[in-house]
Amino acid sequence: MKHVAGKPKILPITGAGAMAQAMRQINPDVVAAFPITPSTQIVEDFSQFVADGKVDTEFVTVESEHSAMSACIGASAAGGRVMTATSSAGMAYMWELLYVAASMRQPVLMSLVNRALTGPINIHCDHSDSMGARDSGWLQIYSENNQEAYDNLVMAARIAEHDDVRLPIMICQDGFIISHSIQTMQIEDDAAVKAFVGAHKPYHPILDTKNPVTWGALDLQDYYIEHKRGQEQGMKNALRVIEEVSVDFAKKFGRKYNLFETYRIEDAEIVMVAIGSAAGEIKEVIDELRTKGEKVGLLKIRSFRPFPYAQIAKALSHAQIITVLDRSASFGAHGPLFVEITTSVYNYCDNRPLLLSHTYGLGGRELSMQMIEHVFAESRICLDKGEVNGRQGMWLNVRGD
Amino acid sequence: MNLKQKYALKKWQDLPLGGVILEAGNAADYETGTWRTWKPVTHRENCIQCLACWEYCPEDAIVLENGTGPDGKPRKFVVDVNYYHCKGCGLCVRECPVNKEGVVQALGFVRDEV
Ligand code: SF4
Ligand code: SF4
Repeated sequence: MKHVAGKPKILPITGAGAMAQAMRQINPDVVAAFPITPSTQIVEDFSQFVADGKVDTEFVTVESEHSAMSACIGASAAGGRVMTATSSAGMAYMWELLYVAASMRQPVLMSLVNRALTGPINIHCDHSDSMGARDSGWLQIYSENNQEAYDNLVMAARIAEHDDVRLPIMICQDGFIISHSIQTMQIEDDAAVKAFVGAHKPYHPILDTKNPVTWGALDLQDYYIEHKRGQEQGMKNALRVIEEVSVDFAKKFGRKYNLFETYRIEDAEIVMVAIGSAAGEIKEVIDELRTKGEKVGLLKIRSFRPFPYAQIAKALSHAQIITVLDRSASFGAHGPLFVEITTSVYNYCDNRPLLLSHTYGLGGRELSMQMIEHVFAESRICLDKGEVNGRQGMWLNVRGD
Repeated sequence: MNLKQKYALKKWQDLPLGGVILEAGNAADYETGTWRTWKPVTHRENCIQCLACWEYCPEDAIVLENGTGPDGKPRKFVVDVNYYHCKGCGLCVRECPVNKEGVVQALGFVRDEV
């Protein structure tokens, strides 16, 4: 079937392939990237677009991720719209520069394919890479499936480059589960995406040689904290901007997003909170349990940074037990999502539900529907007893527990 | 406006984003002279005006003035050290060829009592 200009295309495509398509449509000034599993296809497809003349991008084939992020920061400060893609150890190697990009307020757009951090060495999905970077000052948006990952990347530039935000953004998708799975999804028309994304507005760019500026200067006791305070304000403003851009996206393309998604939580006694691809299976299990009369629901995180504390607290203000699934571990502490949810509920509303923390899926360990059902059943037991003792902080689907 | 007024500490709301510096060359306003524990002093009577000190100084703290050379052509001459910027690293003192000969000093290096 021939594609009609101006109409969206329905395509079977992998999550990584969809990201490369979004990058082609965004047509950034500069891409600097170093391929790493499972984000490789993004860079591979995009380099093909460069070779075929489908984009005008200056593609910098750097020798490492440290250099990739350095090149991105430099190109962004020079005045360009800049993108990159990476995973796991690749992003870990960018670490120092992640903070530089954020503190220099360079709105670099990253497509992150979540993968476990070594060791032992593992290439499969968990959220330890992005969760470790949650304090770096990057906006973090998570996606449940290929369509969401694509849509989020299309929205990324408008959010990150907004005058009131000016912060780098990572659009996260689950390694292999999304990145390598072919799903049928809608790729919007090139011109429509281009119009939605709009032109890049540089901020005091280095290449404006008539107005010379210095980026990245030493900043000591007299100003460092003021600059950091400004950075925090960008994050605070981003909550509003993410909502605004999502509303505009829905008007244009019809798919509605918000800071988080709720599924059947209005009258739910048990609410599960999760991030990423797990949400799909959880929704299935909820539908199943609902037919048996169990009042269960889901809150799926979209924006983890900034974290919408007040909005989430409101959404959870009727839950009696909240079961949080963390796909990364903070050794010696509860998982990062559990900590945020607890902060949210106990500081931003009067509801005092039980809170149950679970760690799952490290290194790609499967989360089956049975396992989700089991967690709901455990939550029910806790709720009936009125306490979570003995069940708090369990690791799911681990032999020996 | 003096430097103190020019650089009165601002609130975070009044700063350009990301610590960008919008004024070219304002490092010249930054006082590095307070870092000094030793300071170079010029002895012009021994100076052969080779300008090596000026070339080596990382702070551009060797002050030059215009003059006329023995050949009648215009050239620059070392006159002084700018102590607002000189951080006392001693590079000029070490690189001065007159000092290296070891007979007399064109640049002395003395304890600075700030
Ligand atoms: S001591 Fe260092 S900073 Fe001072 S004039 Fe000599 S070279 Fe320059
Ligand atoms: S290096 Fe020594 S001799 Fe040369 S100009 Fe400086 S003070 Fe004079």
